Amino acid sequence: MSMIEVKGLTKIYPGGIKAVDNISFTVEKNEIYGLLGPNGAGKTTTIKMLTSALKPTSGDAFVNGLNIRTESLEVRKTIGIVPQDLTADEDLTGFENMYMFAQFYRIPRQEAYEQIERLLDLVELTEAKNRYVKGYSGGMRKRLELAIGLLHNPEILFLDEPTLGLDVQTRTRMWEYIREIVKKMGVTIILTSHYLEEIDSLADRMSIMDKGKIVITGTSDELKGSLKGDVISIICDTAGEAEALSSYRDGIDQPVIKENEVRLSVENSDKDLAKIFNFMIERKITPMSINVHKPSLDQVFLKYTGRTIREAEGGEDVRKSSMNLRRMRA
Amino acid sequence: MSGLVPLTVRELKKWYRSPVFFFVGLLQPFFWIALFGSAFSGGPFASPLYSSAIDNAPNYITFVVAGVLTTTALFTGMFSGINIIWDRRLGTLSRLLASPISRSSIVFSKVLSSIARIMVQVVILILAALVIPDGLRFVNGFTLFAAAVIVATTLMIAFIFSSLFSVIAVKMRNMQSIFGISNLISLPLMFASFAMFPKTFMIGWLQSVAVWNPISWAADAMRTVIINGSAITTTQSYSTLFDLLVLGILSLAVFLFTYFISEQEIRE
Repeated sequence: MSMIEVKGLTKIYPGGIKAVDNISFTVEKNEIYGLLGPNGAGKTTTIKMLTSALKPTSGDAFVNGLNIRTESLEVRKTIGIVPQDLTADEDLTGFENMYMFAQFYRIPRQEAYEQIERLLDLVELTEAKNRYVKGYSGGMRKRLELAIGLLHNPEILFLDEPTLGLDVQTRTRMWEYIREIVKKMGVTIILTSHYLEEIDSLADRMSIMDKGKIVITGTSDELKGSLKGDVISIICDTAGEAEALSSYRDGIDQPVIKENEVRLSVENSDKDLAKIFNFMIERKITPMSINVHKPSLDQVFLKYTGRTIREAEGGEDVRKSSMNLRRMRA
Repeated sequence: MSGLVPLTVRELKKWYRSPVFFFVGLLQPFFWIALFGSAFSGGPFASPLYSSAIDNAPNYITFVVAGVLTTTALFTGMFSGINIIWDRRLGTLSRLLASPISRSSIVFSKVLSSIARIMVQVVILILAALVIPDGLRFVNGFTLFAAAVIVATTLMIAFIFSSLFSVIAVKMRNMQSIFGISNLISLPLMFASFAMFPKTFMIGWLQSVAVWNPISWAADAMRTVIINGSAITTTQSYSTLFDLLVLGILSLAVFLFTYFISEQEIRE
């Protein structure tokens, strides 16, 4: 049984704005599933419907086998959420915030204390646990949100833009926490992000969303592979060697020569590189440098939506991001 | 109503950990009594001739203290709604809605913390009224019945208006709008009541409106027990109990209305 099964889910907001348009996907157990898309693509709305914070206009979804429409309270008991916004109460300590949520899940006091200590240790907030959250940095707040989301040992964890507004170093650290959680707790994760490298680094499988629709689903390699195009760029010692290298074929198109540089477009550089090496050794070609250009998710996004993810960035989430940044700096 | 206790505790912690909010809240009733009450304590109200106009109270502050208690409850209730909008703007509401708690507990936690704040203010207000010159005087003694009526009435008024302001906030996103609407409701309720001014001073149409105002019922009930103490007549006791009964029925209706609206309509 899939942990999440989404069938034709649609959300139309008052005023006729179609935020999510007939999307379907499944998430398997212990998988990190990414929803990648620009701001305003419908990722957060999808998460809100799956976590029963929003009612879908049409379609169905099953989270851990529970219908989000008819069993919303049960759904909320089995999932953990790390929202995009920094929602922990600034006037409470980190510990108090966690204990409040533990009470929501009716975790017995002693068990809650132990679980809180364990999770604070996991996200390295033990020393800061009795400080008011208003004194936390942005990264600390995000880690606290992560710990809160895991309090009741959820089977599924929803991470909505978990590193939004964080600096690169803190973001990388957050990825490590997320990987550690999957390893230690065996949680299924559904992750939204508009950071390409985040999805690329964390997600086992992903769907690219744009304008409320899922445009393609697959693993990172499958999506990049669908572009049919790693480019191997080899700079040779002499123009003659470049000419000799350009006779390489083995199922690829005519290489492009520019002075001493030869560019070979191959389907999968991992497989073709060894063959090209052998070809060069046989013909005594000495490469000065070899560069492999793999297609990026941005190119995948470009292919399936007709624009880059930067071009597609919109206004709504930028506002939220700014609000988060202001709270982090405060 | 799962989640009510932890959410109420959260609200109370936020209150007493915010020094400005905490002290301003405590000073407000003191200003009402010491400044507003004293402003009317001279002139005609100081004359024994006017004693009958102020329900035979020994002075204006003894007359007005019930009204100040009632309006304090009314105005403090406004903050319940404002806190809901804050939670919505900060994203906290969204997270609470995704937790396995009753949706109405989010609203009722604001109401309960508001009531707790009001009850502290009530104590301060009565103490302030007792210590200021020519202040509150229980000329006929202070009975257990009077204490019970004051507590019950304040609780019910606080509950009714905190709930109503919260229900308004359930559907609102804009802080300015909730301030505007709250004032639009609170000020007419205060002025079109017998809270601050004697009935006989009011023009006929305003008197007719004021008799239907819950603020008047509450102020009347409290005023009767404060002024009359142990000398309260049977008729006055029944009248007071009737006021409490009507306020009780209204509280129940408001509770059901708030519960239904917050369970069904609260959105992030």
